[in-house]
Amino acid sequence: MSQSLRPYLTAVRYSLEAALTLSNFSSQEVERHNRPEVEVPNTSAELLLQPMQIARNENDQVLIEPSVNSVRVSIKVKQADEIEQILVHKFTRFLEQRAEAFYILRRVPIKGYSISFLITNYHTETMKTNKLVDFIIEFMEEVDKEISEMKLFLNARARFVAEAYLGEFVY
Amino acid sequence: MLHLDPHNLLLQKTLAEAREAQLAGRPLTLDRIVSDFDYTTFHVSNAPEDKSMLWVSIRSKAYQTVASCGSTYQSYLKDKLEAYPGIQLSSQTEAAYDISLIVDLNKLTQEGVVYLSLLKVLVVSYPFHLAFEEFDRLSKIPVPVDEPPVLSDVLFNIKHRDNEQFFVKPSNDRVTVIFETIFEDETDKIFGKVFLQEFVDARKRNRNIQSSPQVLVSHEPPLEVQNFFNTHRQQAGSDSDQKKYITFVLFPRHFQTSELQFSTICHLALFRNYFHYHIKCSKAYMHSRMRYRVNTFVKVLNRAKLDDEDEEDAENKNGEQEHTRKTISGRKMVY
Amino acid sequence: MDQDWRRIDIDAFDPESGRLTEKDLIPPYPNNVTLQDIEPTINQLRNLASSGDSISAIKLATSDPPYSGDENVKYQYFLAVMTALSQVKQSDITNIIKQLSPKQQDVLIKYLYKGMAVKETQKQGGVLLAWFEKLTQVAGINPVVHYINDRKTV
Repeated sequence: MSQSLRPYLTAVRYSLEAALTLSNFSSQEVERHNRPEVEVPNTSAELLLQPMQIARNENDQVLIEPSVNSVRVSIKVKQADEIEQILVHKFTRFLEQRAEAFYILRRVPIKGYSISFLITNYHTETMKTNKLVDFIIEFMEEVDKEISEMKLFLNARARFVAEAYLGEFVY
Repeated sequence: MLHLDPHNLLLQKTLAEAREAQLAGRPLTLDRIVSDFDYTTFHVSNAPEDKSMLWVSIRSKAYQTVASCGSTYQSYLKDKLEAYPGIQLSSQTEAAYDISLIVDLNKLTQEGVVYLSLLKVLVVSYPFHLAFEEFDRLSKIPVPVDEPPVLSDVLFNIKHRDNEQFFVKPSNDRVTVIFETIFEDETDKIFGKVFLQEFVDARKRNRNIQSSPQVLVSHEPPLEVQNFFNTHRQQAGSDSDQKKYITFVLFPRHFQTSELQFSTICHLALFRNYFHYHIKCSKAYMHSRMRYRVNTFVKVLNRAKLDDEDEEDAENKNGEQEHTRKTISGRKMVY
Repeated sequence: MDQDWRRIDIDAFDPESGRLTEKDLIPPYPNNVTLQDIEPTINQLRNLASSGDSISAIKLATSDPPYSGDENVKYQYFLAVMTALSQVKQSDITNIIKQLSPKQQDVLIKYLYKGMAVKETQKQGGVLLAWFEKLTQVAGINPVVHYINDRKTV
């Protein structure tokens, strides 16, 4: 792990651990409803807690929005150029299309971020909280790695293909 | 499969089978349509009265523009094809096809089969052939050292796809081939950019392929074809910004002999297919890679799930069996 | 009609709805700090930071933040704190944090989060993250939990 990545992930880990203290909370406004308060528009302000933004730089950020019964975690994945942009876009779309398998994945990222997770009290009751945190951390590590590997692969392949083609003209 | 073969494998197999069956005395009944890149279609069928004769027809998008490159197209094809025994250019063409050949299976040789399967390349090779001839003519005109090179006003334009075309331009020291290509998909566009950049850089980087043609890429039509675009103001506008121009500069060493000429033409004719094929391959690879990565993520997430079995064991050990009541069939009671 | 009437938030028009807004949660302050009130502290802070007395600077910065000021007051103070934070040497950070009281640590983390949320200071993310890491090494998760639940913003 690179030297600058470690403090970043540590900060995310602590923030998440603090935020993932969720309780079952029925809606105050609609009887027999139980909604993730962070997603409810115009919810009463006391149900939302202080949002935490963790930034390594402008391109690498996490926004954690805690509420009484749910936490929304949004990740901005580094996109240095248009190749990375398209790779991140494809990759996150691919994940979002498979959101059922991911339970905590939000189908649409919130504005300005690449991908969002929504963790509710239901999830923390059926899953181990520390493992959920592990998952988010691992996800952040792997996504960066995956994107840069794919980019390297693309360049390597392009190079190989070009050389192989032009090699045919060497007589 | 790194390279695309210039010949059409299915066409080659069809003809080889027909030939062998004919030689063995059991002629095949054939009526087969074979497709190839760039909207090319072949049709192989028996001649109406004689099963030992085959009709082979080709329809190609490029035919119209290729035929208008010069007046000697028919005789050029005739010379090339009828050099092989058993192949004859038909004076009548099958309806909806551009060129029809009559093939006598009794006389057809193995080489003839291979040559026929290269028919698509042969169809587009004509402008190249003309360009090489023009080059010969131009290079024999002596050029004073300090004067600009003789510029030929010959420019061949071949429309081989709906929105794409390529140009062949001879001059006194080189022959330039310019492809116009278009990327419809956003991803293709960016992948294409990476690939094209590598085509440009490959020659500089790798010593072994220094003698290959120089490759240039631009957004604007290169100087060689600018006149053409000025006079032909064709559908410039909506999609013109997605277009790219790829220029191959062929030097005499690439077309000294007729064998070299033919192999150069084979590769150039397949350039667009090769290039787009590898973009698609990369996308497919990315896709399978993402699929794999998603699976590993799911595994990590599943580790977080509370395991029912574990809970049960823990409770049994604590002697709190009464908490998990079960029905007689072994199902758990849920409160 | 330009808006779907089903989407109109009728509770917003009902004074009895009991819904709280962000403003309702701000604790009552005896008096509001203005820019003039805070000016001396900001200057002192900048002087301490530039003279290299980082321990006093951080202590001062975290002891009485302008909770009751308006956005501009808070922002001016925040910028001064950022300068102080970024001038501390990496190796001194742990030492300074150890000398802060738990209350001061809670204030410190508010500035760290704010620093990462404000666009102008995001570039220093590395510095702030270093502080964050050291802070959690010393105080554990406590400051983070306090931060989430504290309605007094900086």
